[in-house]
Amino acid sequence: MLAEARAPTRVDIAGLSNVGKVRSANEDHFAVMAMRKAVELRATNLQELTLLDRVRRPEVHLLVVADGVGGASGGKLASGVAVRAVVEYVAEAIGCVQDFDVDHEQAFLDQLSRAVERGHERLKEMFQTQGGPATTLTMVTLVWPRAYVVHVGDSRGYYLRQGVLRQFTRDQTMGDYLVDIGAVTEQHAQKAGLYNVLSSAVGGDLVPTVGVVDLSDGDALLLCTDGLTKHVKDDRIAAILSSGSAEAATQSLIDAALAGGGTDNVTVIVAKAGD
Amino acid sequence: MIQKKICMVGVYGTGKTSLVQRYVQSIFSAKYHSTVGVKVDRKEVNLGATTVTLLLWDVEGRTADHEIPTSYLRGAHAMFFVADGTRRETVDALFDLREHARAAAGDVPSIVALNKNDLQDQWRIGPSDTSKLITAGVHVVRTSAKTGEGVEDSFRWLANATLGEPASPTDQSQVRHAR
Repeated sequence: MLAEARAPTRVDIAGLSNVGKVRSANEDHFAVMAMRKAVELRATNLQELTLLDRVRRPEVHLLVVADGVGGASGGKLASGVAVRAVVEYVAEAIGCVQDFDVDHEQAFLDQLSRAVERGHERLKEMFQTQGGPATTLTMVTLVWPRAYVVHVGDSRGYYLRQGVLRQFTRDQTMGDYLVDIGAVTEQHAQKAGLYNVLSSAVGGDLVPTVGVVDLSDGDALLLCTDGLTKHVKDDRIAAILSSGSAEAATQSLIDAALAGGGTDNVTVIVAKAGD
Repeated sequence: MIQKKICMVGVYGTGKTSLVQRYVQSIFSAKYHSTVGVKVDRKEVNLGATTVTLLLWDVEGRTADHEIPTSYLRGAHAMFFVADGTRRETVDALFDLREHARAAAGDVPSIVALNKNDLQDQWRIGPSDTSKLITAGVHVVRTSAKTGEGVEDSFRWLANATLGEPASPTDQSQVRHAR
């Protein structure tokens, strides 16, 4: 419930993607979108202007990263199709953010899940064979201070608060799944390369997880593909997110991934909130 | 369609996520992952002629330096409190957590699960602890996310309670005291 939704805090958002130092094509895609339904009071002689609080509509930010799999052309196509489908769907359905009671909040979450399913269906229509191109997809819809999360695959979402970095997504790989249920050990999963196999993917076996994170002024939010996390440790990510603008942070994160080897495409979106 | 928001509330590591996972997916993971923020799952439950969709908000647990944000609890139709029967302090914390939840969501139906009942050799909860909870007016059940004991019944009981069905807090016949 967003009863506490208040005047929007200024949110500074930037996104950046890089092919890396080894791959010939960038299979990652991302999008950052701001949506608002503005109510502007052009003129009045009213003394009491609290009505503005009632008619003010929140600004909604959509942040999405996707990392395609299935060969350079297929992976690139998959992540692009999925991100495009999600952006289109959310843009069409955004009317549902007008209401802030619990039932409508669930409807909103359902719409976000539906957006990811739209991307999944598009890919399935395009590639009707089993094992066609697929993609991870991590999406945050930010209606300050609440971040609605829909997550598929092993791209990641983090937030930084008072110097502490916390990952709010859980990787959906066969390694994580089989270790979780006790079927294999971590060592076995590592050795067998199971952490490189997605257990859930848009265009593959889709099992999205849905979540909510409430943010505070001063927090930084990060969405990234694994091209970042395989080369840059959490403490370094935290240090980069701790200062400067969102744009500066995205560039620094990319630079750090490249300096660490740049073996994969790397994509980051950073959102920083502050008055 | 009837939808009810149920918040899973407790100290960290009591098994909230495992209970939801057992109930929704019928699986159990022994590996511990702390929840960050809230993970939202849904499950339809048939209660006679009525079908209710439970929206299960698995809220990150309370830690020494992190209180559960009340914003997650607002609008809940019921609270599913979870304590770890092998960690006495998680039961002691329930009284304060109930007040915390009440302040956020009002007087909504609630249940207390004394979880990890499969670990009887490490059990730290005595009859007087259970009695205290019952006296405080809560429905207490023993659960094990690992074996599935009590899990389905707990969620069904709470789902019924959200519909205002009679659910006596003193009907505690299924709570067996520690031997």
